[in-house]
Order: sequence, then C-alpha cells, then structure tokens
Amino acid sequence: MTLKKLRIGLVCPYGWDTPGGVQNHVRDLAEYLIAKGHYVSVLAPVIDEDAIPDYVSSAGKPISIPYNGAVARVLFGPIAFARVRQWISNGKFDLLHLHEPAIPSISLLACWAAEGPLVGTFHAAAKRQKAIFAIGPILEPVIEKLTARIAVSEAARSTLTEHLETDAVVVPNGIYADRYRDGEVRAQWSGNTLGFIGRYEEPRKGLSVLLDALPIIARFAPDVRVLVAGPGDSKEVQDQIDPELRHRFEFLGRISEKEKADFLSSVALYIAPNTGGESFGIILAEALAGGAAVVASDIPAFDSLLGKGEYGALFQSEDPQDLAKVVIGLLREDEKRRTLAQRGKAYAQRFDWDVVAEDIFSIYEMALVGSDGVTLSSENRAWNRFLGREGN
Amino acid sequence: MEKYFLIALLAIFALWYLSYSATRLDRLHHRVETSWANLDGLLQRRAAVALEIAKSEIADPASSLLLTAAAHQARDAQMQTRSQAESGLSGALGLLLNDGHLVEGFIEKDLLRELSELTDKIRVAIALHVDAVTRTQMVRQKPVFRIFRLAGTAPLPVTYEFEADVL
Repeated sequence: MTLKKLRIGLVCPYGWDTPGGVQNHVRDLAEYLIAKGHYVSVLAPVIDEDAIPDYVSSAGKPISIPYNGAVARVLFGPIAFARVRQWISNGKFDLLHLHEPAIPSISLLACWAAEGPLVGTFHAAAKRQKAIFAIGPILEPVIEKLTARIAVSEAARSTLTEHLETDAVVVPNGIYADRYRDGEVRAQWSGNTLGFIGRYEEPRKGLSVLLDALPIIARFAPDVRVLVAGPGDSKEVQDQIDPELRHRFEFLGRISEKEKADFLSSVALYIAPNTGGESFGIILAEALAGGAAVVASDIPAFDSLLGKGEYGALFQSEDPQDLAKVVIGLLREDEKRRTLAQRGKAYAQRFDWDVVAEDIFSIYEMALVGSDGVTLSSENRAWNRFLGREGN
Repeated sequence: MEKYFLIALLAIFALWYLSYSATRLDRLHHRVETSWANLDGLLQRRAAVALEIAKSEIADPASSLLLTAAAHQARDAQMQTRSQAESGLSGALGLLLNDGHLVEGFIEKDLLRELSELTDKIRVAIALHVDAVTRTQMVRQKPVFRIFRLAGTAPLPVTYEFEADVL
C-alpha cells in the first residue's frame, strides 16, 4: 500500500440498517480502510438516523421495491439526487467506490453526477432480464464512466457481460477469517449434526430441500440432528415439519459471532441447499474458514466458490435424494470429511479481508493514475450554472 | 407558431445530445490514455525488477544474459516493437522461474514476491485497458459518432498483441 492517505467515498445502495450482503461488505470494507488510516465516508439510505456510525451519511429514508426476487430497500428521486451531489461536492474525494451501480439507486445517481476516478462493484447475479435490456441504452453511458469495474464472482461477472456488454475484474467478497479460525467444539452441537445458517423462512434458502432429504438420511444415520441458526419465526416452519422428524430439529435463533465460530467447528456437516438468487455465497466462505465440511447445491455461485467440488461437496440443486446421498456418504467416512474440511479451511484464507482489501486497493491505485480527484460532472456543472447555483 | 416552437425544441435537444455524446467519447478517450499510462508504468517497473533479478543470485550467467537483454529491449522499445519486446520479457521470466529450482536468500525471495505482485497488477491493468479500448471502438462505430465526427482527430485506440496472451 502507498503511504499516501486517500479520501474515499463509498456508496451503498441498500438501506444501511437493513440486513444484507452488500451492506455487510460495504461496512467491513469501510472499517478496514479506516483502520488503515484513510478518510472514508459512506453514503447510504438510512431508516434510523440516530443509530449510525460517524462515517455514514444518510441520503434519506429507503423505499421498498421488489427487485430480483426479493424486496430491495433503495432510494432515488430528485431529493436524493440533490443529497448525492451535495455529498460529492462537500466530500472532496480522491475516489468514489459505487456498489451495485446498475440498479435504480443512489449508486447510479452518484455515477451520473460524478466525474473522476470511479470504481464500481457489481454484486448481483441474475438471469437475463428484459427490463435491463430495455433501459440498457440509458444505463450504458452512465456505467461507461466507471474507471474500473469489479464483480464479486464469476456469476456476477457473466451477468454484467450479458446485460451491459462490459467486462469486470473478479475480486471476491471478504470475510474476517481469523474470527472463525479458533472456534471451540461444543458437545451439544457435535455428533451427527447438520448445520444451517440463514433466514430459513425464505424459500430460496432451500431449507425445504433439506427437510425432504432428512427421512432418507435418518434411515442411514438414526441419530442425525439438524441445527438451524438465523433470524425468523420458527413456529411456522416447525408446523410444516413431519411430526416424526420434529425432535431432530433445533432452532437456535440469531447467534453471535463467537457462537457462529463454535457452531462451524462443531457441526459434522454444514448444509447450503440454496435454490438460487445467490451471487457469491459469503456464508460458505465463512463456513469453510470455520473448519466445517460443506455440502452445497450446485448453483453457479456455489459451484465456482467451492472450486467445482474441490473444497466442498456439491449436490444437484433442488434434488433431496442427491443431497441425502452426498450427506450419507460423508457422514459414513470420517476421514474423507476431515480432509475436505481441512482443504476448505486453507482455501478460505484467500477470502480474508487482508487479501481482498489489498486487491481492491490496488484497483483504486490504478483508477487514480493521472487524476486529480472527484468533481461533479460537467453536465451537472452546466446545469447548475443555468439554474444560478454554483455546485462546486 | 407551435410548429416552430417544436422544431426549436428538437434542435435544442439534438444539440444537447451531440454535446453529451462528445463528452462521453472524450471521457472514453481519456480512460484509454490513463489506463495505458498505468499499464505502461507497471511494465516499466517489471522491466526494472527483471534487471534486478538478472543481477541477483537467482539467475545463472546464461539466463542472466538473456533476461538483461530482454529487459533492456522492453524498456527501449518503440511503439511498433513494444508487443514483441514485452512478450519476449514474459518468456524470459517464464523460462527462469518455471524451471522449479528453489530460491534461497531473503533478497531473492523479496524480488520474486515483488515480481509476482506486479504480474497480478499487470493482469488487472491489461483488463482495464482492453475494456476501455473495446468500449471506445464500440462507441465510435455508432452512426451518430461517425456522421458528426465526434471523435475529431483522435486516433482510434488499438490493443497490442501482448495484451491478448496471459502473462
């Protein structure tokens, strides 16, 4: 890293105080860069303005719109645009890093309003969408302004190439690997246990696939138990479970980081039966770093994260029988399971923030070549002059 | 009267669109230049590191000679011979580093680490540059840009051969 300290502006499109992968990524990156001594400001929509850290500026309250099979809490419109412009012109940034700039959000507005070194990170992986093709011609010149593009996975990269005909450098999402390195094995979670972490009520997380596979697994491993961690109202899900299998389930609710590390060290297998909508699979990287042997569905994001089965076993997505087969195979062979977990743990170190943030920073350095900071774009300057207000 | 108003409005929009497109293309040309400057700088640094390696314990006299020649060639190459020179240097470095002999000594390890970091960066820099170039070529193909000669006298950017093969 260079000795020069930078002023970096990060734009997060989704509500800061709502849970989500992009928000976590932006928060971790911001905190990493601050720890390295850079000045960082994050612009994000915020619901509760009293409960945000110093480095976050609120762009207003997010609104909920359905997007990519989920509800996205984003923000746009003229007032938000004014806020974005004000933030850019007051911030005197050396560089802006925009997250998910291709969806209607403050990231797109910032990309439109700014001129200078702009780095964009694309998180989402989606199937071909006609809507994006329709607005492509408008989006194209804006996305084109990005000096460098980052995709978090091969899946996100191919989404980008398909929809906007531009390429990107792949830099994975980051995890704090050392938080998961030294989990303690807890007796109540070990044995023939299958772990699952996530918002299990969402169908795309695939808990129902695991439910369907369980009767078959139980026939071969009579003492198998399923431990489910994560927020949600477990009553509703429990009612769906076959009464004969109910005693095999344990719902832990939301767990702390320490508990998560212990959880990952204790369970025999970590199961990720997601049916889609994942772009990277950060939880798999964490599970690997925690030393768990992983069984995951073969959706593109997981397939590429697990190196086509090299660092974790894959089963055919949405096929409970195949899941059961893979799980039984691994439960029977302790040795195979242990080597898989060890290989995965060593591999997961490359997702550590120390590696990932250095990669991102070296892209920053490249974007900074021959520039003198971020300003409002000339189009907006002319417009401001026309309206009689100097933006900068 | 209304007709003239409409025509005037259209004319204003057309003018705005042309100015907007010209800005867009100008920005792309700028991106091509800065991404090339970045790549060029990294390649110069690689040549410097290659010279250091040639002088160090890593290289035997024969490879040292080869590497020194290749590094100097890459440094001094004119635009026309740049591709050949950079590929030559990649080849010479590859020959030396892929023969599997173990490197000892602190300075030598440091040099090799620097080289591999540089190689990673160069790979990214090439991707950025190629992206800027293809983007610019694509935009300049569009009818509006061709008919109104929005590119002016700027030369059409090209990618070099060495950028195609992975280092």
